[in-house]
Amino acid sequence: MSALALKLHERRDRLGLKGQRAGEWLAARGIVLPATPNTWTHPEETFGADALLVARLGQFEFFLEDGMAGTSLKRLSAALDEQPPGVYPVLREDWAFQLGGERVHEVLAQVCNVNFAALSLDSHPLIMTLMIGVAILVVPQSVAAERHYRIWCDPTFGPYLGESLGAVVIECGGSYTGVSG
Amino acid sequence: MMHRLDAPAGEWLDRSGTLRFTFEGREYQGYSGDTISSALAAAGVPYLARSFKYHRPRNILSFANHDSNTLFQVDGVPNVRGDVTLLRDGMRVSAINTFGGLTHDKARVLDRFARLLPVGFYYKAFHSKRLFPRWERMFRALTGLGEVTLGAAREATPKRYGFCDVLVIGAGPSGLSAALAAAQSGAQVALVDEALRLAGNGAPQALVRAAHDSTSITLFPATVAAGYYADHWVALASPSRMTKMRAGAVVFATGVIEQPAVFRNNDLPGVMLASGAAQLLARYGVAPGRRVVIVAANLDAYVTCLELSARGVSVAAIVELRSAPERDPAVAACVALGTTLLPAHAPYEAIHGPDGTVAGLRIAPLNAAGHLDATSTRRIDCDAILMSVGWAAAAQLFLQAGGSTRFSEELQQFVPQDLPPGIFAAGRMNGVYDVESRLADGRRAGAQAAAHAGFGVPGSAIVAPSVRCPSHPFPIIDHPQAKNFVDFDEDLQVKDLENAAQEGFDSSELLKRYSTVGMGPSQGKHSNMNALRILARLRGVGVEQLGLTTARPMYHPVPLKLLAGRSFYPERRTPIDAQHGSLGAVWMPAGNWRRPEYYAVSGESRAQSIDAEVHAVRSSVGLIDVGTLGKIEIYGPDAAELLDRVYAGRYSDLKVGMTRYGLMMDESGVIIDDGVIARLSEQLFYFTTTTGGSATVFRELQRWNALWGLDCTLVNVTGHRAAFNFAGPLSREILGALTDIDLRDEAFPYLAVRAGNVAGVAARLMRVGFVGELGYEIHVAAGRGPDVWQALFTAGAPRALRPFGVEAQRVLRLEKGHFIVGQDTDGLTDPHEANAMWAVAMKKPFFVGQRSLRILQARGPRQKLVGIEFAATTPLPKECHLIIDKGAIAGRVTSVTHSRALNKSIGLAMLSPDLAQVGRDIQIRIDNGDLLAARVAPAPFYDPKNLRQKVGSSA
Repeated sequence: MSALALKLHERRDRLGLKGQRAGEWLAARGIVLPATPNTWTHPEETFGADALLVARLGQFEFFLEDGMAGTSLKRLSAALDEQPPGVYPVLREDWAFQLGGERVHEVLAQVCNVNFAALSLDSHPLIMTLMIGVAILVVPQSVAAERHYRIWCDPTFGPYLGESLGAVVIECGGSYTGVSG
Repeated sequence: MMHRLDAPAGEWLDRSGTLRFTFEGREYQGYSGDTISSALAAAGVPYLARSFKYHRPRNILSFANHDSNTLFQVDGVPNVRGDVTLLRDGMRVSAINTFGGLTHDKARVLDRFARLLPVGFYYKAFHSKRLFPRWERMFRALTGLGEVTLGAAREATPKRYGFCDVLVIGAGPSGLSAALAAAQSGAQVALVDEALRLAGNGAPQALVRAAHDSTSITLFPATVAAGYYADHWVALASPSRMTKMRAGAVVFATGVIEQPAVFRNNDLPGVMLASGAAQLLARYGVAPGRRVVIVAANLDAYVTCLELSARGVSVAAIVELRSAPERDPAVAACVALGTTLLPAHAPYEAIHGPDGTVAGLRIAPLNAAGHLDATSTRRIDCDAILMSVGWAAAAQLFLQAGGSTRFSEELQQFVPQDLPPGIFAAGRMNGVYDVESRLADGRRAGAQAAAHAGFGVPGSAIVAPSVRCPSHPFPIIDHPQAKNFVDFDEDLQVKDLENAAQEGFDSSELLKRYSTVGMGPSQGKHSNMNALRILARLRGVGVEQLGLTTARPMYHPVPLKLLAGRSFYPERRTPIDAQHGSLGAVWMPAGNWRRPEYYAVSGESRAQSIDAEVHAVRSSVGLIDVGTLGKIEIYGPDAAELLDRVYAGRYSDLKVGMTRYGLMMDESGVIIDDGVIARLSEQLFYFTTTTGGSATVFRELQRWNALWGLDCTLVNVTGHRAAFNFAGPLSREILGALTDIDLRDEAFPYLAVRAGNVAGVAARLMRVGFVGELGYEIHVAAGRGPDVWQALFTAGAPRALRPFGVEAQRVLRLEKGHFIVGQDTDGLTDPHEANAMWAVAMKKPFFVGQRSLRILQARGPRQKLVGIEFAATTPLPKECHLIIDKGAIAGRVTSVTHSRALNKSIGLAMLSPDLAQVGRDIQIRIDNGDLLAARVAPAPFYDPKNLRQKVGSSA
């Protein structure tokens, strides 16, 4: 088991899409969509550097994050300049964290009322909840047989969430990197 | 006197070393494993506390972490619960609620004036308005428990969420067997008990070991289940943290709480509950006295007698309230030991010795009808009196969970009647008293709870309640000189409850509120049952007809530090936060944001810095971070329609590329928010809200949109966009060098919105005039905000740019007479009163608040928002100071400042309409009581024709 660690995720391209034709528009561009709300898809379980994560927040609402070397969102953003009807781009400047390692569930139990330890990852669950007072989006992942959590929040809450969550992580024997954001 | 015996088998102490501590300044010794109470008891300390009202000396009553007698001040921490707090070396312990120390407490004189402090005294005393301040001062001085040390260090106590399939509350025989049964069914179990150790409380040790060894059972010793909330959320209070436990099902094996007998002086040091004495003896090797009398009404008294005798403690007599005890080996064993058994006798009064502790018990015979013969009393010398007369179900948490109870005449106890789904009860709470039956009942409840949570199948064997009645129906003995206490926390005597009932407070709820019975630290654990019995007898009804009161969470007192947890405060910071810090920002809270109040500059005072910031905006250029404004996008064919319906203005005719002020009202016509609405395309609007209003406005718009079923979509981008106001006569010139947008008036007029690039970053610019100068509100993606801020700052620096904070902005907008929603308006202000009818399109077919506004208009304004000015610079009133007219309140100041640009002090005020005329002199009462002169003045105060912001030229 790796050491407990909270990392401020590297900056990546992110995009939100809303609207009754958003799913149809994405699918037409070859994006594999999660079938149901509150789930996500990713072309590779290894979360490769150029892979696009697609999270379905609702029937007509999506959140997309490109891999570090990904170009999918640039392509999609360019296509959105045409202002397709029924498709509304949503600016997403979220802060993103990755939390994982030993005692990760002890940390989560101190900051959130969702029982993450009991989640089955088979269905690719996407959790929208509050963490120490901040609305967050969580994708649990299994990386190298270890449970990791990717957490996104409104950027203006980013410093608070990072510092507060980081303090709990450190108290539990872990580390927090990327404090400066 | 209590004293320590040799170590009993299985005691909880480690006697290999001693711990030194002080109590009331005197040094004592205890052992590792002692609690504060057990160590003091072992040391034979005669008093531990003074009572709440009469300041009578008190010692241990329950030793069950319930009564107020064992609350202490420990190392500066108030109300430490001595029964369950482990002794530490060097502890400094003192009594609470005393004046001059425990022994010489000056307030003990109050005991002599008890007749002057009848029930309901507070209400009667507070009735007089004239005397209220005097009473208030006196009560504040006299009452209370521990003393809060304001300088004490903050202890962060992490909270935790917990999850289990089955939560079992209580780890006695029934709780243990319930936990094991649930675990055997495959459930994950949490087992909670308030005892410091999970020792089984009479259960077979094999079960205790099994629970400790089980990997499916998580143990929570020293933990109180203090509150029940919906969906099986239970607050678990441990010494160091609060756990919010979510369970699939809950088993209440909370047991019963021993109840005192009520007789004169039943509160003397040395009078205690038999269960408490038994625990002190078994766990800590402390004897309650050297010569003990037991007041009995159940079999437990005899078991206690045997336990005491086995440890060499003399039992002078068992005073049996019943005509005869049951046939039982324990009774026979007591008789065989030669213990004096006095059936059909009652305690008449406890007698104290010179030191105030028990020296004897005067008893009296009871006739066949149970009436006491006070003419035939006799005294038994003793130094301790143990009470073993009955039990009450610990059902408060069960009631919080929505369960209901009925009163069993056979058991003289409330037992569960209706159990909500997922709630199960087991053990003595069910009236099941012998150990084997409790184990069986626990197994049944555990299996049922597990099945409810989806594990195994429920058993169906019902366990019959006890055939012996463990409680006396009326263990209450009257005495002409009273001092027969029902509630030890609140010093309530029998006569207090009688008087309350006589005064008409004769339901259990009213009696509780009027007499305060059950409202002390024990929350009625020792008093509610006897109070109900007294009330039932006074009314001539059964206890069943009165019912139990339901305590609110927390049922058991919980330290505030556990509730405070780590004190997380979700603070928002704009993307420019780091830049503000490096510029010397002095922070202030604005809603849940932190914002620069002003920027401190070396050599300048706060006022000088704010003044300089204002001057920069008026004379050259200033830059303020307005990223805290709510920022919402609305897309779709019905976007304009939605805005028309929720804002007072009209937006369907707003041209693309233009903005319009937006005023939002609730259904009652009260102003709740405002902002600027920009039309970016036919179907796309972008608008701002107040800093504190973004979440509320967004939620409200979503609600209306869902209700009306309009074809549009809302997105809250407040946190995802940075925004600045770049304002001042030089703003256009400086910005022009950084943008590809044509800033000329004819291309970008006042109130227009344009999209383009600023410093190479895609931006939306709105030409607005909140501060009354030529200015541009620049909105960019949050991540690029720092770049744009820096570019503006760098470009403006050679032209005397200053960043300005919230205070400077408040001065600037006040000079313009702009109101701030929530500061200059209140929870009743409508647009008519705020002079904002210009922003209301009453001719629209509908908007939220329109109907109410028509009614309010017809009624006329209750108040009017006006400008005011002051002849003198100082003193100035504060915001919310009252305006006085003919000795009555006629309004209040809502904003005030000194304006360097105008060379006078100005403000806004809400005034009675009859005073709201320009030129009218008014008077404002300030802090020292003086009346300050002011005059109603026209607003805006500065550039009244708005020329500076419209054309960018000097007014």
